[in-house]
Amino acid sequence: MILVWALATMVVAAGLAPFLAARLGRATGYPLAAVFVAVLAMVMSQYREVVVDHETIEYVRPWIPVLRASFALRLDGLSLLFSIVVLGVGALIMLYCPRYLSAGSGHGRLFGILTFFAAAMLTLVLADDVVLLFVGWELTTLCSFLLVGGRGLAGAKPATRAFVITAGGGLALLAAVIMLSVVAGTTRLSEILQQTDVIAESPLYPWIGALTVVAALSKSAQLPLHFWLPDAMVAITPVSAYLHAATLVKGGVYVLLRFSPLYADRPLWHLVLMAVGLVTAVVGALFAMQQHDLKSILAYSTVSQLGWIIALVGVGTTAALAAAALHTFAHALFKATLFMLVGIIDREAGSRDIRELEGLWRVMPITATLTAFAALSMAGIPPFVGFVSKEEAYYAFLSTSDADWTPLGADWTGGLSAGIAVLAASLTFAYGFRILHGAFGGRIAQRGLYEPSAAFWLPAAVPAVAGLVLGLYPQVLNPLVTRTVVDTAFQVSEADLALWHGFTVALALSVLTIVIGGALFVRREQVEDLVLRVRLPFTGAQVFDRVYEGAIRFGADVGRPARSGATGAQLAWPLGALVLLAGVGLLWLRDPPPAPLPTTEAGDWALVALLAVAVAALAGVGNRLAALGLLGVVGLVVASVFLSLGAPDLALTQVLVEILTVVVAVLVLRRLPLRFRRVARPQQSAAAVLAVASGLTVGTATYLLTGRRERSEIADYLLVEAEEATGGTNVVNTVLVDFRGLDTLGEVAVLAVAGLGLLVLLAAPRERDPAPAGPIDTLADGAGVVFRIAGRVLGPVVVLLSVWLLLRGHDEPGGGFIAALVAGAGVAIMQLPRGPDAGPRLPARPLIAAGLGLAAVTGALGFLDGSYLRPLTGELPVLGLKLTSSLVFDVGVFLVVVGLVVAALDRLASGQVPVAAGDGDRR
Amino acid sequence: MSVAVAVAVLVAGGVYLVLQLGLVRVAFGFVLLGHAANLVLLASGGVGRRTAPLVGGATDEEIATTADPLPQAFALTAIVITFGITVYLLALVAAGADDDPSAEKSPAGEPDPARSEASAADETEGPS
Amino acid sequence: MNALLPLVVAGPLLSAMVALTAGSPRLRRALGLVVPAAVLVAAVALVTATSDGDVLVAQVAGWPAGVSISFAADLLGALMLALTSLLVLVCMAYAAISGDDRDPYYVPLALVLSAGTFGAFLTADLFNLFVLIEIALIPSYVLMTRTGSREELGAGRIYLTVNLTASTVFLFGVGLLYGTAGTVNLGQLVGAGAESGGVALATGVLLVALAIKAALVPVHGWLPRSYPYPSPVVTALFSGLLTKIGVYAIFRVYTVIFSGESRWDVVVVVVTIASMVVGVLGALGETTVRAVLAFHMVSQVGYIVLGVGIGGVVGLSAGIFYLLHHTVVKTSLFLSAGVVERVEGTGRIDRLGGLARRQPLLGVAFMGAALSLVGIPPFSGFVAKYVLIRAGVVDGQHVAAAVALVVSLFTLLSMLKVWNGVFWGGEPTRDDRLAPLIPPRGMVVPGLVLAALSLLVGVSPEWLLWLSDRAAAGLADPSTYATAVAG
Repeated sequence: MILVWALATMVVAAGLAPFLAARLGRATGYPLAAVFVAVLAMVMSQYREVVVDHETIEYVRPWIPVLRASFALRLDGLSLLFSIVVLGVGALIMLYCPRYLSAGSGHGRLFGILTFFAAAMLTLVLADDVVLLFVGWELTTLCSFLLVGGRGLAGAKPATRAFVITAGGGLALLAAVIMLSVVAGTTRLSEILQQTDVIAESPLYPWIGALTVVAALSKSAQLPLHFWLPDAMVAITPVSAYLHAATLVKGGVYVLLRFSPLYADRPLWHLVLMAVGLVTAVVGALFAMQQHDLKSILAYSTVSQLGWIIALVGVGTTAALAAAALHTFAHALFKATLFMLVGIIDREAGSRDIRELEGLWRVMPITATLTAFAALSMAGIPPFVGFVSKEEAYYAFLSTSDADWTPLGADWTGGLSAGIAVLAASLTFAYGFRILHGAFGGRIAQRGLYEPSAAFWLPAAVPAVAGLVLGLYPQVLNPLVTRTVVDTAFQVSEADLALWHGFTVALALSVLTIVIGGALFVRREQVEDLVLRVRLPFTGAQVFDRVYEGAIRFGADVGRPARSGATGAQLAWPLGALVLLAGVGLLWLRDPPPAPLPTTEAGDWALVALLAVAVAALAGVGNRLAALGLLGVVGLVVASVFLSLGAPDLALTQVLVEILTVVVAVLVLRRLPLRFRRVARPQQSAAAVLAVASGLTVGTATYLLTGRRERSEIADYLLVEAEEATGGTNVVNTVLVDFRGLDTLGEVAVLAVAGLGLLVLLAAPRERDPAPAGPIDTLADGAGVVFRIAGRVLGPVVVLLSVWLLLRGHDEPGGGFIAALVAGAGVAIMQLPRGPDAGPRLPARPLIAAGLGLAAVTGALGFLDGSYLRPLTGELPVLGLKLTSSLVFDVGVFLVVVGLVVAALDRLASGQVPVAAGDGDRR
Repeated sequence: MSVAVAVAVLVAGGVYLVLQLGLVRVAFGFVLLGHAANLVLLASGGVGRRTAPLVGGATDEEIATTADPLPQAFALTAIVITFGITVYLLALVAAGADDDPSAEKSPAGEPDPARSEASAADETEGPS
Repeated sequence: MNALLPLVVAGPLLSAMVALTAGSPRLRRALGLVVPAAVLVAAVALVTATSDGDVLVAQVAGWPAGVSISFAADLLGALMLALTSLLVLVCMAYAAISGDDRDPYYVPLALVLSAGTFGAFLTADLFNLFVLIEIALIPSYVLMTRTGSREELGAGRIYLTVNLTASTVFLFGVGLLYGTAGTVNLGQLVGAGAESGGVALATGVLLVALAIKAALVPVHGWLPRSYPYPSPVVTALFSGLLTKIGVYAIFRVYTVIFSGESRWDVVVVVVTIASMVVGVLGALGETTVRAVLAFHMVSQVGYIVLGVGIGGVVGLSAGIFYLLHHTVVKTSLFLSAGVVERVEGTGRIDRLGGLARRQPLLGVAFMGAALSLVGIPPFSGFVAKYVLIRAGVVDGQHVAAAVALVVSLFTLLSMLKVWNGVFWGGEPTRDDRLAPLIPPRGMVVPGLVLAALSLLVGVSPEWLLWLSDRAAAGLADPSTYATAVAG
């Protein structure tokens, strides 16, 4: 329970921080530090149970049962160790912030995210559920991004690199986590770690291991992914000290320590970690030698030190795990100190370049002393804790030979790894002294520098002194380290930390280290020249940016086809896809379709031939009006096909639609040049190929998949029951209005919106300019007389005809739609003679609204008989006409269609050509 | 069979037209494709039975040879919907949306070299 | 209750016509907000009613099943209804704040659009599905080309023609399906694709049409070419509703007709992998905020439909959860992008910068939604990614899982491109920056609300995962659905 409180406190504090900062400004650090200390106290209150009684504090409550993920926290030695680092260093950083930050407000974001980061880090190290652990992991990455990138121009790029690299590692971890939970059947970390044998049998076992390693190496900035860490140093010092030295980068170490039981007996696991770790330790140290900016030196030093720790994890013996735990602790102490002090120097002297800094020890003795403490600890000089941990490490590396996983007779492994370790340590010694000498040695150059006030250096002094004390009395750490080994190696081996172990091989190595390191420092000029010469031709950051930009350019190419504005180029894809699928499908058609029933009659072929001719002509013709005529022909042929197939309603509709389409098209075409634009040859042939292919596939599919079964039950039902059920004898019409009224309602809605679309798109002309010459105008004057009479006489007749069609529709071919089209034709006829620019007789919008509204409302009447659109029948007193709700429904249809026609005529017939069109079309 | 051929003809013609420059011909192409779709619908009912589904006093024999009314209703609805969309498509032409990639612009108004350059390429490339 | 199902279509249609004739903008706005709100309430009721696996059915016009058009609400349909009505509500609110609804046609058209969408989630009749899709599409054509500007017309031309192609293909499919199976009622088509190759092929044609509408590779081009161009709220509305019809229909048609048939899964997996990859790369290459987001939809649709390819309750559940999550998040992003364009007068990434300082709240909204899109905890996107990849591992689809994983890293890149370009980095230099406009107060809120919703779901995903699981169970075993619909 205490664990939840600890977490909750941090989260709440993070939430409140911005509001505090609004009041207190930079001083917000003090109350927050208090919070950190309080939470540390909460955790430490469990010290006794965990470390002395070897108990484990647990808290579990269900979180996502569906995924068997639980909100499980667990405090054991390992978690405790990391929690102490996270909270302890966090408190110091919070104390450090107020004096470091500029006065004034605006630090709310920083304090909020820093505190939230601590909470995330705490989640990571306390989680006993792999999902929760991953959440913590990702949140730390995110906080790092926000903290590094919040620094305006300079921050964005490095922040992005850091985010992408570590998030990539995060994905690896996610994959590992998912596989683990699937294989082990649980997401509880403690349970997973108990099932090594089960997991080891899964084929995913090696993948899990590899992905975990990748994740850890990216987070802990190991070669070749190390480059994001030095980049991230653009962040302000508190961030660098806290995230990028003490805690975040230790996340990888933590996960490796956690998961190492799973791979304890896998040589590859150990070898990879040792190899990467030792190489990074050496190379990182070399990079540190190349730097002149104190912060960069520290950054590469961190890379190197993390390599050192990971190599120890790789060794995997109890001694090694103990050393890793100890060094994690020691490194947090001295590296946080160094960063804070560098921050002080930066603030006071205004530079971090050791070539500019000179003899600061004269003006800042305290700062100098503290730096010395930390640097010596880092260099592994007694009596600092760094020395103790290095001794342990040497001992551990030597123990490689007799690790369980080491193949027999490979005794040289211990010597080799220890040798490389010595090299790394010597380099560390060298750049440790380089820092000291570079910043504080020599004669004072700058004037007017003073020791900063105690409030500034005190936060750094605490860990520096702690490093000394723990160096003198390392025994106090024994229980914690012992417990940590229990949690990571699953076996008890009492840690025996001491400043003086007597004359051991490790001691000899330490001496050797100091000798070599000393030599390197004394001959630093030559060494510097040497290391500067081995610089790589490119940096990881450059490679990253190269790849990033490459990806963007590649993306632009990938997206190019989609960016085409040519309809042909866009339509080719779906059509091609259809041909492909249908073609392949037809070839794969498993069961041969049943034999075709007799469907074709002699007369059909004539129509088909006619159709073919008309279509071919339409495809070929270049004159718009000719094309329009041919389109009409095709429509009429299709209509007669319908008729021949026993679909009079369809045929009638087709004819009327054709007429209206042609009318509309004429109105549009008069705005366009007479001839179609020419198209490039290759495009023509490509189009032809695709056209033929589509024709063949769809035709074949139609042949194979239709006309091979008896009439469907639904059809039989309709033919037999329709009259009985609806009182209508025109079954098609009854289907439209009685059985499937919803389709018809939808169809009406489509027409209604199409009409509205015309009103929107071709907004009513503001000032009426004379229309360009077109067929209609010529009608309007001269020959128009005939039409004027036609309009007066024929129009009304047609409208009456339409009403008659509307009424009979239920029993004979007709119905609301057909009637409306006829009426529309009537309106058109009445419109024609009055020329294009005379306003319409009928207002389109109300017609449409009323029609669709009426249809929808009529449908609701059906509820009287239990269902929407249920047709109702009732006698109408006047002239005994049978009134059905279907008829009213049809009236709605009628109104909408008329509205559409009116809208089309009104907007298209008017001479107004939208400005947008202007030149565009007359090219 | 004959219907299948008719469908093939209409689809071929329609596809050819929709792949042309100029929105008018594209619209015409869609009209043809619409015809094809309606024929497929009719065929799906089985065009062996061709008596019009007007069952006023129809005998059982007549009923037996009567065409399937359901796909006819489908086709009717489809015709109307296609008509509505075709009208709007033509309205787009009237508003000046005639196929004209070279005059493309990027969103928010500024000319975008990559885009115009890309679309200019398409003018000649065509379907690919 | 069941009999009222068709009202989700008729209600909005009728209100649209009222709004059309309504003189006062206030009434229009009220209708625009009340209608989706009412549907949302009804949808939530439906979710509770169907969460135990029940399927509510209405035979519209009260004829026998197969003759009538069947409306059926199962949990999936109810969830989609709730989701989309919520998004319509949010978009209407946004339009009310931004002033987009001053156009007297905006609300009516949006209502018709939602009518079609709502219906599509409930109908169990494939031809009726075609009609409803058209109801949703035609207003979208008008909304896409509302202003008649060159950009809109250019985009509208592509948008309309490609969708018209899809509709035609869909008709072919319906025809062939009726030709082989003799019915278009989903209740009567369960497993038909497993029994007859003809039906399978016809269904394949249907699925091509639906894939076009869902913008799966290789038939995705129209979406990135059209979505960035109309006014932002329209883009948001489309992304929330239209492509989702296609995706939903793929889930429904595939699982019903291919029930008990898994040999086509591999095709789905291949297509979705291609979509994930191509979509994210295309997004990376785009130059405006909305273009990046639009192209990225292709990638995300790949993730969603991958759930179908993986199949089984695990896969389908993951797909459904991803669908719900992604719809919310992407809409939020488009709305935020709209605010960006309103503030800065442009959506071009290279002309923007430093917006996070001037519009911190907008920054929060965008960052939250973007992180969710990438799949960073504690947002819903993380859970979605987790369950989907987990489903892949469980089902042994390791390649697909790996691709999904890697692609999400590129998603991060694309979002960082926008974030660094628009919200961080230096102020755009005066001369190439259009005069910054003051956005109407509260314009950020809709996007923020949706981002917050994503966060809420991410922190406590249990309830939604549970619902997705139940919905998936209904798809994996459509027998209940079938008996309920076909009687």
